[in-house]
Amino acid sequence: MTQAPGPHLLPDDVEHWLSDTLDAERTRHLDLCPECFERAQVEREIVEQLAALPPMRPSAAFADRVMASVTVVRPRLFSTRRSIALAASLALAILGSMAASIAWTMANPDVLASLGSWVVAQGTQAGWLALRGLASNFIEQPWYESARALAGNPGRLAAAVGVATLAYLSGVFALRRLLVLPTQQVANVG
Amino acid sequence: MPEEADWPRLTDQEVVLLARGGREAAYRELVRRYERPVFALVYRMVRDRELAEDLAQETFVKALNAIDSYRPEFKFSSWIFKIANNAAIDHLRRRELDTLSLDGSPHAETPEAMQATALQIGARQESPLDAVEARELGGAIEAAIGRLRPEYRSCILLRHVEGRAYEEIAEILDLPLGTVKTYIHRARNELRLALAHLKE
Repeated sequence: MTQAPGPHLLPDDVEHWLSDTLDAERTRHLDLCPECFERAQVEREIVEQLAALPPMRPSAAFADRVMASVTVVRPRLFSTRRSIALAASLALAILGSMAASIAWTMANPDVLASLGSWVVAQGTQAGWLALRGLASNFIEQPWYESARALAGNPGRLAAAVGVATLAYLSGVFALRRLLVLPTQQVANVG
Repeated sequence: MPEEADWPRLTDQEVVLLARGGREAAYRELVRRYERPVFALVYRMVRDRELAEDLAQETFVKALNAIDSYRPEFKFSSWIFKIANNAAIDHLRRRELDTLSLDGSPHAETPEAMQATALQIGARQESPLDAVEARELGGAIEAAIGRLRPEYRSCILLRHVEGRAYEEIAEILDLPLGTVKTYIHRARNELRLALAHLKE
């Protein structure tokens, strides 16, 4: 009779055997040692019985009962201390600057009035300059005389406006046709 | 936001993120995924259906109400099993205290005083309800599991009934890996001895 090599199986070896990861030498011992083989077989039977235990389920209303006792958290904008501190700092800065602005305005009405007048004067001057520049530019255009002649004749002006409107509407219609997504199914081939 | 049909494709961590975002359906999905294994573990620990439902419910309520404190680097299953196991073990300890035979007050100085202050409560008798539940659990192996020490019971159920890895069991039970292996080996050994008479 062949002697089983090495010592008897240790619990770790049985564990490896149960998960089919026992090395070749120990497997050879197991094959040749009836004592170890019987022990390992019994353990395997127990493991199989445990794995075959019937599944257990709670009653059908279990999930509803759990949900009735759970508070679903809704994410809030200021849910952490850090975000609260950030928001508070921001609000403080805005309110502080507003208060400072009001206080300065009340303390310096003359400065504010002269500043306002200066801004209005500068704005008006800049506006006139821009308008004059635009008009000069317009008059220097090569088509200016033709446009002026057209504006002088109401009939020709009406015809030009009509043609332009028609062209615009045709363009819009064509664009809409192009942008409509195809809705028809492609017929099966074959 | 995923449609109803997408839930099975999401990992536990992804479902937890949706729950943290305030989606009630994500809470329900977590309950749906773990109600069976959590209930089964607790039921086999305490061997009382009604009590097991209460403890499983307590587990889910505790876990879901504290979903913000869950750390996604750990498995959600480990977290929920840890809460469930602690609930079951706490209950078993309380029940054990209820049936403990005390030797009297620690302040008693004479044997008479010890005798006078001793609290004698009988061992827990099997009620008709226990008998019904024992039948429901059925089989010699279920009875043998019920006689194991609670720590062995947790280990053997998580390993061989729920199919959890040793490392996860160690995490769930806060035990060193070697201790988990020893407990499982000893539990199997006790089951082997308890079931030996059936083979004879």
